[in-house]
Amino acid sequence: MSAAEKGQTVKERARDALGNDFLRSAVRFTTERLRLGKKLAAEEHGNWDDWRERGRQIRLHTIAHLDYYLNEFAENARANGAHVHFADTAEEAVAISLEIAKHASAKSVVKSKSMVSEELHLNQALDSIGVEAIETDLGEYIIQLANETPSHIIIPAIHKNRHQIAGLLSREAGEDLPADTAVLAGFVRTKLREKFLAADIGMTGCNFAIAETGSMVLFENEGNARMVTTVPKTQITLMGMERIIPSWSDLEVMATLLPRSATGQKLTVYMSGITGPRREQDADGPDQMHIIIIDNGRSLQLGDPEFQELLNCIRCGACLNACPVYRHIGGHAYGGTYSGPIGAVLTPALKKNVAEWDDIANASSLCGACYEACPVKIPLHDMLVYLRRRKVEAGRGNKAETLGMKGFSVVMGNAKRYRNVVRLGKLGQKLVVRNGEIRARIGPLKGWNTYRVTPELPKDSFRDRWSKVEQELYSESAPMNPEVADRLSKLMDQRKNGGHGQ
Amino acid sequence: MTNPVQPDEWLKRLEARSRAKQETFMDGIAAKLGRERVRTRPKHPFRGAPDFWKEFQLPIEDRIRQFTANFEAAGGHVVRVKNRAEASTFIVDKASEMSAGSILINDEVELSTLNLASSLPDAIVRSWNEDQDENWRAVASRSDIGIVMADYAAAYTGSLVVTSSPAKGRSVSLLPTVLMAIVPVDRMVTRLGEILVRFDEAGREQLPAGIHFISGPSRSADIENDLTIGVHGPGIVFAILVDDDSDA
Repeated sequence: MSAAEKGQTVKERARDALGNDFLRSAVRFTTERLRLGKKLAAEEHGNWDDWRERGRQIRLHTIAHLDYYLNEFAENARANGAHVHFADTAEEAVAISLEIAKHASAKSVVKSKSMVSEELHLNQALDSIGVEAIETDLGEYIIQLANETPSHIIIPAIHKNRHQIAGLLSREAGEDLPADTAVLAGFVRTKLREKFLAADIGMTGCNFAIAETGSMVLFENEGNARMVTTVPKTQITLMGMERIIPSWSDLEVMATLLPRSATGQKLTVYMSGITGPRREQDADGPDQMHIIIIDNGRSLQLGDPEFQELLNCIRCGACLNACPVYRHIGGHAYGGTYSGPIGAVLTPALKKNVAEWDDIANASSLCGACYEACPVKIPLHDMLVYLRRRKVEAGRGNKAETLGMKGFSVVMGNAKRYRNVVRLGKLGQKLVVRNGEIRARIGPLKGWNTYRVTPELPKDSFRDRWSKVEQELYSESAPMNPEVADRLSKLMDQRKNGGHGQ
Repeated sequence: MTNPVQPDEWLKRLEARSRAKQETFMDGIAAKLGRERVRTRPKHPFRGAPDFWKEFQLPIEDRIRQFTANFEAAGGHVVRVKNRAEASTFIVDKASEMSAGSILINDEVELSTLNLASSLPDAIVRSWNEDQDENWRAVASRSDIGIVMADYAAAYTGSLVVTSSPAKGRSVSLLPTVLMAIVPVDRMVTRLGEILVRFDEAGREQLPAGIHFISGPSRSADIENDLTIGVHGPGIVFAILVDDDSDA
């Protein structure tokens, strides 16, 4: 169960995260490493913005014709011998998975990393029918042993140090393992190798699905996704309905953007294209392959001009690494399956329950670093503003804020009222000003003054001085240079037409 | 778990359910997009990489240099030999040096002519799928070295490509501790796209079940960002570039 479902607010979860020194430095270090890797990889490759634009166009085109391409993929996957299933909801996807597991008389399922499976809470469901689900990505395996959820889309166990990891693995090994990365990884290799060979079902996500050939494509570094699609007799692929690209040629663009944006690699160690179950004479690969195509809220974005581009996301995590908020509080503070800027938008968008998740939309400075980082140019910072607007429009705004805004408009809409209020403030502040500063954490100043200091209202304000300043300006200033006057008036005209920035 | 329904019958029932659902699923997408279902292939004006990229070609020596730099930067090893006899010598020397007890090779002509079994009398050398009753996945998992022919290689990303067939196991490049891939240099191209486009051209029916791009040893940075090699797949990977791969 995620933190948000336990009823904590994003502020409370962020406070927990900020109090954890290891977490803060680990998140900072990791995001910095990945961000820098991406920057160097993009620079070395060159023409990065052309590639981003190409990636965006391919994704826009595919989503705009999703019914055609998804249908084509399903037909071709069937022709390859795969069994294709459609699930509107997480519950339906879980039910289909359990039905397959029962028919395979499965005792265990080995899984490679899949964010979709995190959406479904599938491990608990499998456990409930007596099927052991084993995460095989090293980071996912660690957090499964710790009974936690991923805190980063690419490095799920970012929040655990090697001593904690040694403790978790020692419990599994039944002996004390030293906090040495090579030893710990060696133990996991041996332990999971047995699990791969014994498992009845292999389960993966899907980075891309190729419509024209019915193939699915997986990117990974460890080799566990290859294990999961090679060794067990039955294979299940969980696939978000928007994962489609038309062709292998289009894969070149995605393969250029995804690894560079995720980790700065030119390509992940393994990129695998799987086309159907094993051929009759093949001696490995699954006998039976199932592909479950999942909606679970994705189609709600279709036809919504503000959010349709969310479906372009290729799950690289670059926006997390670029986000000043994520870099401070880490993934768990977001409270959903997806964290960072993409999570802040995707979580409420998939669930269409802005009210419950509204505080996440506020956990952003709207600086636009996420958009700059995004390899398919999703305007996440704009979407965060749309979410805030929808919340207010739906009448679910903060009552104090609404009242404050009304008061602000009353005061600012009338010069006389404004003058009177400022005069009152100057009198009132005498109670709290010390040495020209207000430090009291009271009333509306509480949030601000917890971390900062408010300056006192000046005795002689700009407004007080205006009549004198105005006189000086107009009596002394020379007539404007005609060229400058012309340029300024043109600028003012432009601004009347909407003032688009360059 | 008792299962009164025959597997085939169950799968047929699933398929009927899936086909019915497929229609409502696609209709739903079209409705949300505010238009009729698209039933003919849409014109895709942005297919593949940007045009300037499709022109990009390196001469063979530059390709080899770039492949080597990239593959080594990812932690792999690259050696270049003149012909198959030299490749065989290299493999035999390495296998002896590592005291390899078991070697699994894909069942390909190029590999069988390396005569590894006679050159390595102390090792068990087996060919993939030579015996239909064997559990080949388990054999691969027990093998010290897996040896494959690369179908293609891409210089720009430092990747080699292996595809599956009855004679070519997906496990051979995955489960052994060490992977050795022989890459005839005339199979090396500049860009990923030059390889990918061939799968479009071949078409669905010609594609193998498994197509794998391999760009170095298996790795993970999941423990405190500390790079670990060989976490699931082979930790030691050799690309053996062969200038002249003819039989002579």
